[in-house]
Amino acid sequence: MTLTMRGAAYDYGEGRGLRATDLTLADAPQLIALTGPNGSGKSTLLKLLARVAAPSSGEIAFEGKRLREWPAKEYAKRIAYLPQDPDPSFPMRAIDVVVSGRAPFLGRFEWEGDSDYEHAANALAMCDAAHLAERYLDEMSGGERKRVFLARVLAAQPKVILLDEPLSALDISHVQQFSALLRDVVDRTASTVVFASHDLNWAAAYCDRMLVMQEGRIALDASPREVMQPDVMRTLFGFDAQAVEANGRTWLVPRV
Amino acid sequence: MGTDALTLPRPRPLAVPLAAFALALLIALALGITFGATSLSWRALAAGDETARQILLLIRLPRVLLAAIVGATLAVAGVTFQTLLRNPLADPFILGVSGGAAAGAAIATATRLSLIPGAVPIVSFLGACAAIGAVLVLARRRDYTDPTRLLLSGLVLNAFFSAIILISFSLSRQSDLTAALRWMMGSLFGTTWLEVGAMAVLLIVAMVVLAAIANDVRMFVFGEDDARSRGVDVERVKLIGFITASIVTGAAVAVSGIIGFVGLLVPHIVRLIVRRDIRALLPLCALGGATLLVFADVLSRTLTPSSELPIGAFTALLGVPFFISLLRKSR
Repeated sequence: MTLTMRGAAYDYGEGRGLRATDLTLADAPQLIALTGPNGSGKSTLLKLLARVAAPSSGEIAFEGKRLREWPAKEYAKRIAYLPQDPDPSFPMRAIDVVVSGRAPFLGRFEWEGDSDYEHAANALAMCDAAHLAERYLDEMSGGERKRVFLARVLAAQPKVILLDEPLSALDISHVQQFSALLRDVVDRTASTVVFASHDLNWAAAYCDRMLVMQEGRIALDASPREVMQPDVMRTLFGFDAQAVEANGRTWLVPRV
Repeated sequence: MGTDALTLPRPRPLAVPLAAFALALLIALALGITFGATSLSWRALAAGDETARQILLLIRLPRVLLAAIVGATLAVAGVTFQTLLRNPLADPFILGVSGGAAAGAAIATATRLSLIPGAVPIVSFLGACAAIGAVLVLARRRDYTDPTRLLLSGLVLNAFFSAIILISFSLSRQSDLTAALRWMMGSLFGTTWLEVGAMAVLLIVAMVVLAAIANDVRMFVFGEDDARSRGVDVERVKLIGFITASIVTGAAVAVSGIIGFVGLLVPHIVRLIVRRDIRALLPLCALGGATLLVFADVLSRTLTPSSELPIGAFTALLGVPFFISLLRKSR
């Protein structure tokens, strides 16, 4: 799998968006955390990679072929994207949400078959959410919903999974469980997962690689160990941090 | 996560609700054919009574069939708009179709074009098409159609058309106004087989087109970005859906006037009974809308012996209590 950006930019106007950016996702499956202050371009980067938006300049290619040359459904089978906190406009059962992740595999008049429901049920099981299958989304807690949506993404068995702030609005124990689940997904499905997150400590604890964005650029693309440094925090986040060693890892705590 | 056999919680088969909805429609049709200003005697008909045959073939049957087709059309257009716009308040007239059609009819009345048979439906259909075109152009933003701008444009355009209607009416002769007002309140009086045939063909074409994009339309449920990421050509699907639903609505308005509530309410009623996506809702809404309008039509022409009451009032009078009772029963 190779997904590359060469000088890809997206302009919302007023200098916001993504500036000419290079990025390569390749080789072994990785869990990649995408961090950076609000408005630094994380969501835009994910949307461009997901082919939800087209770059205003530069190029993005998957498996050596430019994105716009990929048939939409073929690309959707391989790259999955989850917007931040999707909310259905009408009540839906979890299993129906998950099986809708199989949409790119269906023909024009075709409805989901047994194999699609099997993929969906397996994906729910992998996310520890099999028991939620027949419940409605609006009856679920935030944590349960996030598991269902992760299952939806997994149901297509994609090579790359792009998640926009999957940890937002979760309590601390669910943040840990969900981070561990993302790690598990990478190890068991051999997909590469890129997730936007503000939770630096948890992201660093579980991920293989961190991308730190600042003002529409990738300011740092490095291992968690290199990112989790007080001086990096000061320059990139304007956050006055102190490094604390515990359980063989570096954790950043505010200096107060 | 055990290794036990995974049961597949597939949705229940559609055959049962489809059969139930079809049965309801058949009952409505039978009632619609039987009752009217004069009751149709099935016995006389069987005995070969010529008057009974004339009432059935020239008056009752075309009218009841048109009620069914118009009801189906409005409900199908309604569910399409609600799904594409992710807005439960959307109805078939959202692109200014009703305003455009009514303005067309009002202008036809003021210019006395309405005295030519068949002119009002044609002019009002042209008005509806003009409205659809104007709203789609106004809602266009760089390379995409913005749902919020679409709703606003429809609203603003309807206000603009209201002005045209008011001016046209004040310029019209008193004697022409009664017919125009009856048309605006919705009426199936004097239905011809030509109208039935034209609407049936349009409805079938629209159903086929909408069924062909239904797999993509249902993906709008989590928003346009999500649909795009699942391989849906969002802009193309929106345009096909909006135009198809609006044109059939324009045609329905042209033959039957402005009949409210069917397109707004039936999708909600059906969704409360059968919780499925638009692929299943399309045929069910068609049957449900047809049933509601046939019932409403029966009431509108039987409650008062000498005159017809506006059918649009009965779609609401029948639909609203039914909707409220379902809403109270649901979670």
